[in-house]
Amino acid sequence: MSWVLHRIDDRLIHGQVLVAWGQRLDPERIWVVDDGVAASPWERDLFREAAPGVDVQVMTVTDAANAYATETAAPGGAFLLVRDLITARRLAEAVAGARDWNVGGLHYAPGKDKLNDYVYLNDEDRAAARVLLGLGATLSVQDVPASRAVSLTSLDEELTA
Amino acid sequence: MSAGGEENATPASRVPALIITHADLAQSLVRAAESVVGPFTDVTLLSNLGLSRDDLELAIEEHVKNWANGGLLFTDFWGGSCHLCGASAVRRHGEVVIVTGVNLPLLLDYLYNRDRFPVGELAERLQLKGRESIRVQRGTPA
Repeated sequence: MSWVLHRIDDRLIHGQVLVAWGQRLDPERIWVVDDGVAASPWERDLFREAAPGVDVQVMTVTDAANAYATETAAPGGAFLLVRDLITARRLAEAVAGARDWNVGGLHYAPGKDKLNDYVYLNDEDRAAARVLLGLGATLSVQDVPASRAVSLTSLDEELTA
Repeated sequence: MSAGGEENATPASRVPALIITHADLAQSLVRAAESVVGPFTDVTLLSNLGLSRDDLELAIEEHVKNWANGGLLFTDFWGGSCHLCGASAVRRHGEVVIVTGVNLPLLLDYLYNRDRFPVGELAERLQLKGRESIRVQRGTPA
């Protein structure tokens, strides 16, 4: 069974992931794939303890790519979380399976354009998105299961220009 | 005026608090608490609405950086962005303790005891008070 959600969300683990998606999809494991968090023992521990009852693993993109196929065949459901489109692109370039992405939260930062209340992109994000789309990835914008999913390309005409 | 009808200025030993929640829960909690005990000070509020992890962390740090003797963060639930960003933000700012699952009884107990206990002891007390306040009342057939 394994992967039930690949999510791009700058908050990584948070309420929408644990409660809304967690109740819907009931993961046994959550992978937080983030080089920055993986480099900090303190932050690793913080995330590992964030979801009682769920096995949270924190790892680099390289380690995630190496272990991805094994996890794909594991029993029980799993979430994979990255903080941005760039990290998603790196993983999708490294492993064939990482193609369907839920875009759950890319919040405002200076220089980013608003697509909706929780997705803002800059040129670097768009470049990563184009690579992902070129690899055949789907980028589906949806913060919680109860909201309607829409494609990222439908929100941002620059992606297909 | 402070909670409990005390007109005095902020005591040096008072434990300050920041309530961080989803949407406007923090404001609503404070309004509810004020309806019980009257207006109070030394509690600040923050919503995570629309903030990235980095920006929420920065916003929390702005609130706690001037707490000379530590303080309390109240957040809505364990594992939420308010909790996790709070934990990251307060690491460099002395004894700041996070209490998750804030509710009205917990907040009221804080207001009446924030001048009586040091930060760590107060946090432990509030954890118990918050838990004790959640009870089940089963209906009895008439």
